[in-house]
Amino acid sequence: MTERFMTLTAAVFAAALLVSVPAAASAPEVGKKAPDFTGVDSNGAKITLSALRGKLVVLEWTNHGCPYVSKHYGAGNMQKTQKAARAKGAVWLSIVSSAPGRQGHVDGAGANRLTESRGAAPSHVILDPKGIVGRKYEATNTPHMFIVGKDGTLLYMGAIDSIRSANPADIPRAKNYVTAALTEIAAGRKVSEPVTRQYGCSVKYAY
Amino acid sequence: MAYLALLAGFAIAGQAAAQTSQPGTLRGLDLPGLSPQGGAQRSGPAGPAVRTRHVTAELLSEHVTLRPGTTAWVALHFRIVPNWHTYWRNAGDSGEATRIDWVLPEGYAAGDIVWLPPERLPVGPLVNYGYSDEAIHLVPITVPKDARPGTDATLTANASWLVCEEVCIPEEGVLKIGLPVAGDPPIAGFREGPIFAKARAALPKPSPWTAKYRFDGNRFRLDVAAPGLKRDVIEDAWFYPYDHGVVKYAAPQKLTVSGRALTLETRRGKAAKPFAQVGGLLVLKERLADGKAVTQAFRLAASEAAPAALIGFWEAVLLALLGGLILNLMPCVLPVLAVKALGFASHASEGRGMARHGAAYTVGVLASFAIVGAVLLAVRSAGQAAGWGFQLQEPVFVLLMAYLMVLIGLNFAGLFEIGGRFAGIGSSLAGRSGLSGSFLTGVLAVIVATPCTAPFMGAAVGFALGQTAAVALAVMLALGLGLALPFLLLSMAPALLRLIPKPGPWMVRFKQFLAFPMFATAAWLIWVLSLQAGDAALLGALAGAILLAFAVWLWQASSGASGRWRPIGIGLAAVAVVTAFAMVRFADSGMPAPVRADRTPESAAAAGIVWEPFSEARLAALRAEGRPVFINFTAAWCITCIANEKVVLRLESVRRAVDEAGMATLKGDWTRRDPVITEHLAGFGRSGVPLYVIYPPKGSQKKPMVLPQILTEGGTIAAIRSMAEETRRAERSGD
Repeated sequence: MTERFMTLTAAVFAAALLVSVPAAASAPEVGKKAPDFTGVDSNGAKITLSALRGKLVVLEWTNHGCPYVSKHYGAGNMQKTQKAARAKGAVWLSIVSSAPGRQGHVDGAGANRLTESRGAAPSHVILDPKGIVGRKYEATNTPHMFIVGKDGTLLYMGAIDSIRSANPADIPRAKNYVTAALTEIAAGRKVSEPVTRQYGCSVKYAY
Repeated sequence: MAYLALLAGFAIAGQAAAQTSQPGTLRGLDLPGLSPQGGAQRSGPAGPAVRTRHVTAELLSEHVTLRPGTTAWVALHFRIVPNWHTYWRNAGDSGEATRIDWVLPEGYAAGDIVWLPPERLPVGPLVNYGYSDEAIHLVPITVPKDARPGTDATLTANASWLVCEEVCIPEEGVLKIGLPVAGDPPIAGFREGPIFAKARAALPKPSPWTAKYRFDGNRFRLDVAAPGLKRDVIEDAWFYPYDHGVVKYAAPQKLTVSGRALTLETRRGKAAKPFAQVGGLLVLKERLADGKAVTQAFRLAASEAAPAALIGFWEAVLLALLGGLILNLMPCVLPVLAVKALGFASHASEGRGMARHGAAYTVGVLASFAIVGAVLLAVRSAGQAAGWGFQLQEPVFVLLMAYLMVLIGLNFAGLFEIGGRFAGIGSSLAGRSGLSGSFLTGVLAVIVATPCTAPFMGAAVGFALGQTAAVALAVMLALGLGLALPFLLLSMAPALLRLIPKPGPWMVRFKQFLAFPMFATAAWLIWVLSLQAGDAALLGALAGAILLAFAVWLWQASSGASGRWRPIGIGLAAVAVVTAFAMVRFADSGMPAPVRADRTPESAAAAGIVWEPFSEARLAALRAEGRPVFINFTAAWCITCIANEKVVLRLESVRRAVDEAGMATLKGDWTRRDPVITEHLAGFGRSGVPLYVIYPPKGSQKKPMVLPQILTEGGTIAAIRSMAEETRRAERSGD
């Protein structure tokens, strides 16, 4: 009898433990290790985040049909930010998570044409039509920006700049968070605004 | 009346069209060449419409004129093409809230948009908050005192909005409305009035409850102190925060209703900065008994759950442990344990075997607490309020507890011995049956402990019941460990046993003395029973207790007897026991306590509605008189009922509406069990209070109206008036 109750008690404890184990979640978090991923770029090359260890990496979610993206490319703001980042030695990955048939979806050739016609300067354009990388980073908007430090730590996530609009006239008045963060990182300082509210179109995920 | 308003509307429309020399302009990004239309054919206080490919925007005024020194209400009204959306103040994962910049005449001022509750708009793995088909943005406009009647005022709204389906298009438009200033009371626009009325009905109300929030790792938790709310009537609950970063929009919000609080748990958002306060809308969809659903939105301002006020997990465990320890000293538990300790003391020499007994006892206690905890959780998940001692609401349980106390008392007093198995006295401590005896002592300790509460226990159990099952069980087990601890220590440290004086005749005396706390506990339980189930149950319980004592005496007296006396003794004892337990019938809520209206929370003496006690006969009589009847089913222990009564039913406006409707008012008091009320509640698919029903007069085609569990002033008055309307219609048509 005693043994049976011992067993019962043990079972209750075991059940309680099972219930209390929190659901595993690895959402990106500033100060923690950025989620690793492997994507295929517009030229068919495999790009793995962890293989870029030792370099700063900027992730930019994009969709060329989105008015908010057009705001920054049309005014040359995104290209300028890309060039400044690469001049500092950073790797810039533009990521397209639009599903086939949805706004912003491109194939490799289409992506390269866009890069050329817009005078853009990403290191690679990653094609993520299944949204695997996008969901890993919980990217919600285009543009949506992330900066990964040389040691693989996430240093920034959020908006490209401080004025939430689709109007290019706002760009000169806005604070470019990515440029500001990269400057602070280069100077060895802490990023003063590591999380901002991203704005733009929703990422056109497959569903 | 309506005809007049219509005429007035035409007149204003003419003026408005004449004076808005510059028609609405539009600058949508991809909409070249669209010109605004409308204006001349308007039939009310509305500016010319701006039409884009996806939205028809208009600036509407609730009233046809502006009155100096008042607040006038205008609305930016959108008709949105199917499948497209505009956005709430917090748009969610993407999207942008609609914005208005006002250009107003000197002295006028515009307030912020008063947002109506949004819908959840899923886009694949993302969720936005916004509006489909129609969006109404209410804005209060302060009209200056010195506005001159006879002049006109032009209100200009430079509006910009994002409209999305798959893709998003930022659009903007200039909307104007010209309104004459007049000193007369304003008249509602013929077409606009209903749009404002609809918007007002959907407006979020101030929350009647306080709310607390907590960020816990990557979780967000919102606790709304809404006691008495039942899980089974809440079809959906969702928290829409005003600020970005509070919640992850696409994550499900897990709802638990504990009888004390409504809790929503979800993933936290990515906030840049900590929040001083988390504001937002709590939208509750309540399913009424007639199958209809009522959706209400409440404005919450949740403060952070202060660590000092709300105890943490380890604190709760510690308090539970302390509470359990102190439980040992309670008059219902101490005698049982003292007797067990005496048993130990008389076998103190046996050393190692003692530890095993201590362990068996501890397991007995813990297993019992695990069961009590599981039952509490089951009751809670059924949406009932549950706390320590919830079983005591059940008169049958109370009676059986009283019997148990009497039996233990008789045993201590020396009237009988149960072979030592129960209390472990006189049995071989090394034997296996002795071990199960120790286990049973543990179980018994928990059973006798249930009517008692110790300091610290309330806080710990209260905390536990608001938590996950695992945490709640952990706290319950800590309580059990506390209860078992003194005994466990005693069994493991025989040195302590030596502190107890040498065994001797004093032990027998002491044990006999301990019978009295047990009898006292029994007396208290029987008193509780009499409150719950009335005088007959009191008599039944006392008779039952005496019969039990008699049966025990018969058993004992005939045990030494020879021949036919033994079976006769056993037989008579059995009859006495069966009769004692038959007394349960009296306790089984067979004796309804008399309905006394003066026992209810807010008595008739207070200002407001005068309530008559409810009975089926009175209800039928009042309805037969041709009166509609408002019934308030309530209870003194139902906090939602009291809140409704204080916040709504006591209002002068509600009393007036009731008087104007010629409505009778009855109160059904369910503070004690009342099968008539229970049956009436069941008729509406409810298992508890509050329940508010408005019955139509006899002969009406209309069905009784069930009001939401949480009353609001507007909703209650509207319901009363609609029933009054129905009554008048019935009077005109028939009788």
